[in-house]
Amino acid sequence: MLDFTWVWAGPYATMLLAMLGAEVIKVEGPRALDLGRRAIVWPLGEPEPLDIPINQGMAFNAINMSKLGVTIDLRKPQGVDLVKRLVSISDVVMDNVRAGAMERLGLGYEALREVNPGIIVLSSTGRGSQGPERDYAGYATIHCAIGGSAHITGYPDQPPSTTTGDVDLMNATAAAYAIVAALYHRQQTGEGQFIDYSQCEGVTSLTGEVLLDYEMNGRSPDRKGNTDELVAPHAVYQCWGVDRWVALTVETDEEFEALARVIGRPDLAVDPRFADATSRKRNEAELDCLISEWTRPRDREQVVEVLCQAGLAAAPSRNAWDLFRDPHLRERGAFVEVDHPELGRREFVGAPWRMSDYEPLVRHAPLFGEHNDYVFRELLGLSELDLAELRRHQVIE
Amino acid sequence: MVEGAFDGVRVVEYATMVSGPYCGKLLADMGADVIKVEEPRRGDPARQRGPFPADQPHPERSGLFLYLNTSKRGITLDPAHRSGRDAFERLIRWADVLVDNHRPERLESLGLGWEAVRAINPALIVTSITPYGRTGPRSGQKGSELTSYHAGGMGNLLPTRSVDVNRAPVKAGGYPVGYHAGLTAALATAAALVGRRATGSGRLIDISEQEAILALVRTNLAGTIYNRSTWSRVPERPPGMGRMECRDGYVVLAAFEDHHWRGLMELMGNPEWASDPAWGSLKYRAHHLLEIAPLLDEWMLQQSKDDIHHKGAAKGFAIGPVNTAEDVINYRQYEARGYFVDVDHPEGGRFRYAGSPYQMSATPPRVQRPAPLLGQHNEEVYRGLLGYSDEQLHRMREVGAA
Repeated sequence: MLDFTWVWAGPYATMLLAMLGAEVIKVEGPRALDLGRRAIVWPLGEPEPLDIPINQGMAFNAINMSKLGVTIDLRKPQGVDLVKRLVSISDVVMDNVRAGAMERLGLGYEALREVNPGIIVLSSTGRGSQGPERDYAGYATIHCAIGGSAHITGYPDQPPSTTTGDVDLMNATAAAYAIVAALYHRQQTGEGQFIDYSQCEGVTSLTGEVLLDYEMNGRSPDRKGNTDELVAPHAVYQCWGVDRWVALTVETDEEFEALARVIGRPDLAVDPRFADATSRKRNEAELDCLISEWTRPRDREQVVEVLCQAGLAAAPSRNAWDLFRDPHLRERGAFVEVDHPELGRREFVGAPWRMSDYEPLVRHAPLFGEHNDYVFRELLGLSELDLAELRRHQVIE
Repeated sequence: MVEGAFDGVRVVEYATMVSGPYCGKLLADMGADVIKVEEPRRGDPARQRGPFPADQPHPERSGLFLYLNTSKRGITLDPAHRSGRDAFERLIRWADVLVDNHRPERLESLGLGWEAVRAINPALIVTSITPYGRTGPRSGQKGSELTSYHAGGMGNLLPTRSVDVNRAPVKAGGYPVGYHAGLTAALATAAALVGRRATGSGRLIDISEQEAILALVRTNLAGTIYNRSTWSRVPERPPGMGRMECRDGYVVLAAFEDHHWRGLMELMGNPEWASDPAWGSLKYRAHHLLEIAPLLDEWMLQQSKDDIHHKGAAKGFAIGPVNTAEDVINYRQYEARGYFVDVDHPEGGRFRYAGSPYQMSATPPRVQRPAPLLGQHNEEVYRGLLGYSDEQLHRMREVGAA
C-alpha cells in the first residue's frame, strides 16, 4: 500500500491496515513532511510550547506505527516516475490531500490505472472531491460541526461542544473499511476502483437516526448531556475528591432493586416514584439526587467495585493514567510496545480488536526516510547507481 | 448490473441495538446477504426507541431501527428453544460471518460458542462485540453506551476543554459507542474475509466497546503520558477561536496561521485594534488572543453562520457552521454529492436517510431494501433457505422458537 496521507485522518487508516498485515509505504517529500511530525506541544507548566524534533512527535508516533517510510520529491518528474514504479507493485493508494492535488501531480486515479489497471485508490477529503465546497479548508472540529455531531453534544444549557481528533480517527476507520471492501471485490473479480471519501459525511453517517427525527417530525434534536430518552438512572455522578466521576445506567426493575440495596436504601425499591422504568424516568432528577448523595462522599474505585459486584453497568470516567495503568486493558493487550531509536521504549494504544490466530506486526513509526534503501533497492530493484542519481537530482534523500 | 463489494457474502446477525446492527448494516449496504435474527414477538429493543413519526412509539416505525437495519432480511428465532437452536445451527452452516453482540455465555450455554461453531463450520468468521471484550478481569461485566464511553476515557479526554470541571464529563450525542464499535467490527470482519481466501479458515474477532472508544483517544493518551501535555478538562481556550456564537447559531473556526489571520481581519474590515504589526506573528497572537477575544466574539455575534461560513472559506481558513439536523438535510454540498438515500419503508414511511461517506466507482454502496418488518422473511428463510416444512415452521411459532 502506497500512503500519501498526512496528519490524522489518513495515517490512522493506513496504520490500521498495516496492523492487519498490509505492507504500507509512507511517502513524504524532502520538503513536504507529514505535518503531523510538526505538532506543537505545550507541556503543563511550561511558559512556551516546545519544538519537537521531526521523529519524536507523540501523536505522529501513535498513528504511524508499522509503516515503512520513504522520501520522494513529487514536484520532480523523476519523483512521479518513481511513484508510478511503486504503484505498479502496489494494491492500494491512499491520500488525504486537497481535492485535485494528486491529479495536478500527475498521480490521479486515471494516471495510476494506466500503470496498474487493478489499483485501488482512496482519496479522503473534508467534503469530497467534487461539489461547490470541495476546496473549503477543514479540520476534525469543522467536520464535527458540519456533520451534525457538535450540535447534539454537550449540555442543553451550554453551547454545543465539538469532539476533536476522534473524528479524524473515526473517518480513518471508515476509509480503511471501504479499502478492504474494495480489496475483497478485487479478490473476487480482479477489478480495482476509485473511492471518494468525505469526512463530513463520515460524521453524519454515525448519526443517522438524528436526521430521521427531522424527516419524520420536522424538528432537530438538541443536546441532552448524559441522559437517555428512556432510561433512568442514566448519568455520571461525582465521587469524593476533584474530578472523580462514575457513570451508571440502570435499566430493569431487578437492577434498580440491586442499586437500592447497594446504596443502603432498600425502601426505594418499593417506592412508587421509582416502581418501573417510566416512573424512574419521570422522577429522574430526584433519583439523581439520591444517588449523588451516596456517591459524593465515597471513593470512586470503591463505588465502581460495589456497583459492578451488584451486577450493574457502572464505570469510572477514566483519565489517561487510569487507562494506561488498567490491569484489564493490559491483560487484553490493548497497548503495544515499540523500541524507538530516538525516544526509546514507548507504549501506545494498539489495534482495537483481538483476533484468534493473529498477532499484528508492531514496529515504531518510521523515521523520516528510514526505508529508502529497502524500498528502492529491495522492492523496486534499483541499483546503487540509480539511487545515487536520484539523490544527486534531489528526488530522494 | 450494480455490484456490491460483498456480493455473495452471507452474514447472520444475532445482535441488538446499535453496535452489532451497525456492523451488519455496513456489510449489507455493501451487498452482503445479511439475515437479522430477532427475538420472537418483541424483536430488537431498538424498535422501542425513537425517533417515531409524531412521537407515537411503534415497533415498525422506529427511526433508529429503520436506519441501522437497511438492506437486511429479518427473521424471528429464539435459539433457547430446541427447534430454534437447530435452526440457528443450520444458519451457522450457511453463513460466512456471524455478528453477535450478546454475552458469550448466551450462545455458549446452547452449545453454540466459538469452539462449537468452528467445528460446525471451520470457515466461519465470528465477530463478537461486548462491553469489555471476551477476556480479562472485567470481561463478564455489564456495560452500556454511557459506561463504555466513559470507561474508554472519551469523556475525560474529549471533548477537550470542558468549560466546567465541576460538571460531569459528557458523552458525545447519539450512540457513539455503538456506532464506533460497529464500525470497528466491520473493518475487522472485512479484513478476515479477505484473509480467509488464503487459509480457508475462519476466526474469532473479539471487539471490546471500551477498546473501540480507547482507540479514539490514543493520541491524547500518548500526549498526556509522554509529553505531560493535556487539553482535557481545562477551561475553554483560546476564546475567540474554536466554537463561536453567531446571531443564528454557532460556527467552528481555526484561523491560527498568519495568512488565515489576515483573511479573518479583512473580513472584519481590518479593525483598528488589530492594526499593530505585532499581530502578524502567530506567537504574539497565541499569547494575546485573550485580550481581544471579546472583540472577536462581539463581531461574530452579529454574523449569520452560513454567511460567515462561505466568506471565511473564500478567505482560505477553516470554518464550518454547527449544523442542526435541519441544516444537515439542507446542506448543498451533500445534495451535490448525492449523499442522501431515499428509502421507502412499508410501515415507517418514505424518508431521506444518511448514505455512505465513501463513493466507490465499481461497487457503489446501496440500500438494497428497507429495514425488515419483524419476521418479514420467516417464510423465505425457514422454508426456502433452511428447508423447513410448513408444519415445522408452524410448530416453532407455537412454542415461541420463531
